[in-house]
Amino acid sequence: MTIKRLSQLRIFSVFLATALCAGATYAADPGVTDTEIVIGLHAPLSGPLAAFGQDPLQAAKMWYEDINKKGGIHGRKIRVIAEDDKCNANEVGALARKFVTVDKVFMINGGSCTASVVGAQEFVNREKVPFVMLNASGDPAVFPATRYVFGAFPGSQGAIGAGIMGFAIEGLKGKRIAYIAHNDEYGASNYGAAKALADKAGAQIVAYERIALSITDVTAPMLNVRASNPDVIISAAYPAPAVLIAQKAAEYGMKQPLVQAIQGIPAPEVFAKNVGNNDALKNFYYSAPVNDLPDGPKQIKWLEMYKKAYPDRLVPSVFMVYGISSAMVVTTALEKVGKNLTRERFVDAMETVKLDSGIMAAPFEFGKGRRDALRAQSIFKFDGVKSTLMPGFYTWDGSTTSPK
Amino acid sequence: MSSMALYQSIASGIVSGCVYALVALSVVLIFKASDVVNFAGGEFVMLGAFAGLGALTFLEVPYFLAYAMAAVALFFLGAIFNKVVLEGVLKRAKHGQRTLVAMVIATLGLSYVIKGGVRLFSFTEEVRRLPSAFSGPPIFIGPVVMQWQDIAIVSISLALMLALYIFFQKTLTGKVLRATSQNPRAAALVGIPVQLMQLYSWGLACAIAGVSGVLIGAKLPVSPDFGGPIMLLAFAAAIIGGFTSLPGVVIGGILLGIIQNLVGITISSTAIAVTPFVVIMLVLVFRPQGLLGGRHRIKKV
Repeated sequence: MTIKRLSQLRIFSVFLATALCAGATYAADPGVTDTEIVIGLHAPLSGPLAAFGQDPLQAAKMWYEDINKKGGIHGRKIRVIAEDDKCNANEVGALARKFVTVDKVFMINGGSCTASVVGAQEFVNREKVPFVMLNASGDPAVFPATRYVFGAFPGSQGAIGAGIMGFAIEGLKGKRIAYIAHNDEYGASNYGAAKALADKAGAQIVAYERIALSITDVTAPMLNVRASNPDVIISAAYPAPAVLIAQKAAEYGMKQPLVQAIQGIPAPEVFAKNVGNNDALKNFYYSAPVNDLPDGPKQIKWLEMYKKAYPDRLVPSVFMVYGISSAMVVTTALEKVGKNLTRERFVDAMETVKLDSGIMAAPFEFGKGRRDALRAQSIFKFDGVKSTLMPGFYTWDGSTTSPK
Repeated sequence: MSSMALYQSIASGIVSGCVYALVALSVVLIFKASDVVNFAGGEFVMLGAFAGLGALTFLEVPYFLAYAMAAVALFFLGAIFNKVVLEGVLKRAKHGQRTLVAMVIATLGLSYVIKGGVRLFSFTEEVRRLPSAFSGPPIFIGPVVMQWQDIAIVSISLALMLALYIFFQKTLTGKVLRATSQNPRAAALVGIPVQLMQLYSWGLACAIAGVSGVLIGAKLPVSPDFGGPIMLLAFAAAIIGGFTSLPGVVIGGILLGIIQNLVGITISSTAIAVTPFVVIMLVLVFRPQGLLGGRHRIKKV
């Protein structure tokens, strides 16, 4: 073979390799073209849990439409396919399959209920489709972390437990803490994180009362709490038992501060009405993942933006902003990837996201082994009429301990 | 365990127990009248609570009227269910065909229908408590602290139980209902309209459940899932006291309320949830007919 022939062969080989690589690069993933990115969006839009899904989903759509009005992401507009998942694991699993195999979406952004998002986890990891939760905490889906699933935008149970314990110790200078949680995996999760923090800070958990979700009489747990003589009482109970706990604490003349996790107080004014006695709330605090009240200076712009987009939604639910947060993280990662968008690059970009949304208590952050977005909580003081944001926020370092 | 905690547990247990006893009365009434265990009993309680909530907050009626409205509404609902569904099952049964399973399944189905129907109203998404009929600072009876609402629950429950006792023992209708429940065939032979009496029993039992709902709803936050746990405890109370004895279920309910609290302060709060089941097992092993139940008999459900 002559030198000239060899050179021609080399040049041709390089050209062929480049063409193949370029072709491989631009053998685009489904849901991506030069002009659009297709996202499958889902939340409960009907059934008893529609209140958790309707506003967050619409808020996410609103964010994507706003991005499109500003020119899209590197010239690509976001096209959303929205479905109702009824907060049901089977439904979410079926929708994941539909999105991927029929609608050929690039990624899925959905889920308002922890139990339901778990239904898609195995499928999306097997098919290597990015799945970013909407407003579900999704603890079982983010711990342990799997490559393609991102979530816990309102904070996981660990973040909640550490947040309220952090406030009890740092904010209220508590040294003897009584902790009331449910006797399920979520109760164990929030207590585990809380205990780890208490151990590090040298605070003592003097009572740990595990109560059933369906408890109708909290006499015994509260007598045990009273007998332990705590400085601060923490409750991670859900709404109905949370009301009973606040009532019983007042009934027994317990003057210690009571710090209630967000899951027990979705609407403070309804909580106050249920307790029925504002004197019981003289020393009452609750946690929340957001950085302000819905009509506070830091949140008002989101509320106004949403009301402009959906004028029929006179009173959006408190979960509305979680939908904006989730969509904001998605578009941030899409921006980071650039023009050469693939699912793998998107997941890699998500792992580098550190975003202060201006909505939540602290910046969102993911990482190589981390898939829970928010590890902080704000604290509000509530006197039965007005909520007041307490300074700062309380962060979880990710450590947990097995509850005794 | 301090003596203060002991007395408080007993006092609060009596209050809870009265609630379980009232609901259990409703279950036992139906069982005695038609041999059917009403698995929708908890949902009737829940419906009564929401009916009371609606009457008090939307119609702004006085409390006694809220009780009356819940009782009347639930009376008719129970009577209609008996007439349309249960009698329908009996009519369609062939001669000699056992209908008990079908009727029990019908009550299970009714529980889902009621729960699903209540969920259609967005108002029920949040847990809500009925406004208290009695407010004010707690009262102290020795070392024990009680709310006025607790006193009301015990008083109204006992008054209702006394009224039922008088009704069944002293009035003609009550005696006729008892006769029908004890021996329907003999009652029919003497001219008692058995189906009408069973309809009244269902109506009365559901009315009691409705009143219980209004009573309980002023203490416990109400939600569509509120009836299930209450029903479980009512069952336990009925089994402890005796499924065929009205006084028995009263004692069973109060005992259960006290035992739960004592378990909570002596063992752990986690054990409270399993206490009713442990007590049920013990009763079934050692005295299956319950404390005041009649002769031991077994029926397959």
